[in-house]
Amino acid sequence: MNTDPTLTLTAPQDLRSSPWAQTSALSVRSMIALWRQPATVIPSMIFPLFFVALGTSSFSRAINLPGFPVVDSFLNFALAGAIVQGVLFGSITGAAALATDIENGFFDRLLVAPTARSSILFGRLAGAMAFGAFQTAFFIAVLLPFGLGIKSGPIGVAVMILGGTMTALGVGAIMSAMALRTGSSEAVQGSFPLLFIMLFFSSAFFPRQTMSGIYGTLANLNPVSYLIEGFRDLTIDGLTTWAVVRALGFSALLAAIGMGLSLRSLRIRLGRQ
Amino acid sequence: MNDLRTSSLSAAVGLSGRNLRNIRRLPSAFLPALLMPIFQTVAFSGTFYAITQVPGFPTDRSINWYMPLGVVMGSSFAGVGIGFSTVRDLESGFYDRIRMSPAPRRALLLGPLLSALTRAVMVVTLVTIISFGLGARTTGGPLALVTLLAAGAGMSVIGTGWGLGLAYRFKDMRAAAIMQLTLFLGLFLTTAQAPLSIMQGWLYDVARLNPFTQILQLARAGFVNEMAWQHIWGGLVAIIVISFLTTTFAWTGLRRLQD
Repeated sequence: MNTDPTLTLTAPQDLRSSPWAQTSALSVRSMIALWRQPATVIPSMIFPLFFVALGTSSFSRAINLPGFPVVDSFLNFALAGAIVQGVLFGSITGAAALATDIENGFFDRLLVAPTARSSILFGRLAGAMAFGAFQTAFFIAVLLPFGLGIKSGPIGVAVMILGGTMTALGVGAIMSAMALRTGSSEAVQGSFPLLFIMLFFSSAFFPRQTMSGIYGTLANLNPVSYLIEGFRDLTIDGLTTWAVVRALGFSALLAAIGMGLSLRSLRIRLGRQ
Repeated sequence: MNDLRTSSLSAAVGLSGRNLRNIRRLPSAFLPALLMPIFQTVAFSGTFYAITQVPGFPTDRSINWYMPLGVVMGSSFAGVGIGFSTVRDLESGFYDRIRMSPAPRRALLLGPLLSALTRAVMVVTLVTIISFGLGARTTGGPLALVTLLAAGAGMSVIGTGWGLGLAYRFKDMRAAAIMQLTLFLGLFLTTAQAPLSIMQGWLYDVARLNPFTQILQLARAGFVNEMAWQHIWGGLVAIIVISFLTTTFAWTGLRRLQD
């Protein structure tokens, strides 16, 4: 048994004095949880790549259709949809883990510890952001040997990784708001079909310009379409101001809305306890 | 009791009835299998609406191409749903009570197959009605509905055999993920999204050899072509062969469970 008093006294004091250290420790915890349970994150890595592989083979002749953007290959077109799809689905995992913390009482243990309240949330979201950045880089790295070309170059790749990070923050924060409101991991997981519908009624898999009727209208109204097209512009058009604004602007807006919702949900939950 | 022991059919009907009553008692377990093919049909038809303009695409209505995919996938997941409920029964111990009953072993497979077929008919009917409301039309006359139903029924048998076989072997929910993932991959590595005539690259060879492509062709027989035997026989053969294999897989799993 360790009887050295400096060891037992200094650690809690450090934690109490530094919300950053607490956030950092909790974000490391959330990332380790992802690493230890690969089955929860692998689908969000594999399925987008599977759909890219299918689409590239099935729709390669569609790139000559009227309304289709000028692209060298369907693979270049499909990258943006894969990134957003992966980040959307991956963000559920972190929020579901937060809900599990609430269910199994770990959240309450953090509350009785000298932990900054916001660190509990930010720790989770930092983990989601790191995973979003990793996913974006992973999709690009895997698809490059198969002929993926990114016209905006390394700067564009960096912008996409930043956009993927902020998208993960935004979606993760919205899902965390749901986790804090319901305290149920099942409710968070149950939002998966909603994300799936948001993704399909957008330009994730085909350009809006080729859709018609009510489906085209829904895709035009869906903000996910514009988020994806920002990433897509960077891939197929090059590094333009408009592409950067779309890729980062929509993801930043999503992050701001998500943070607002999740902080409000945290305050409500703390008020109830 | 003597009657029950001698009649596989009455025991199977009883088990099937229990499975179907579970739709009302636990709708959350069946509704996704019903809603997913509808969503898939609508989403694919809308998203890939323009693909029909690619030279060589066999129909000018995207819903005619994607509705049979929704039916085939929904029917196979209706069968897999029986695998899920069997896993639940195995985990809760209820299946042991069924096995201790004097019901013939055949009935333990026949019952789930009957309920899967009933579920598949519900899926086919609902998806077809909604698709016709959204603009699907037959090109092969009323027989198109017969081949569509045959493909749906066949896939529900295949899904049930596969689901039961895995449920008997794993005896827990690990089986559920494998059931879904394998069928999903099997059905998407076909002409699910586009016909062979416009496909390029690796998927062309995979889809050409994949027997599920033949089943999709059967389902689409009266929706993209004139009804012709050449579009039908391959799917029927594939259904018979794969159904036999998956049912045998389930039967051997059941026997292993008894050991």
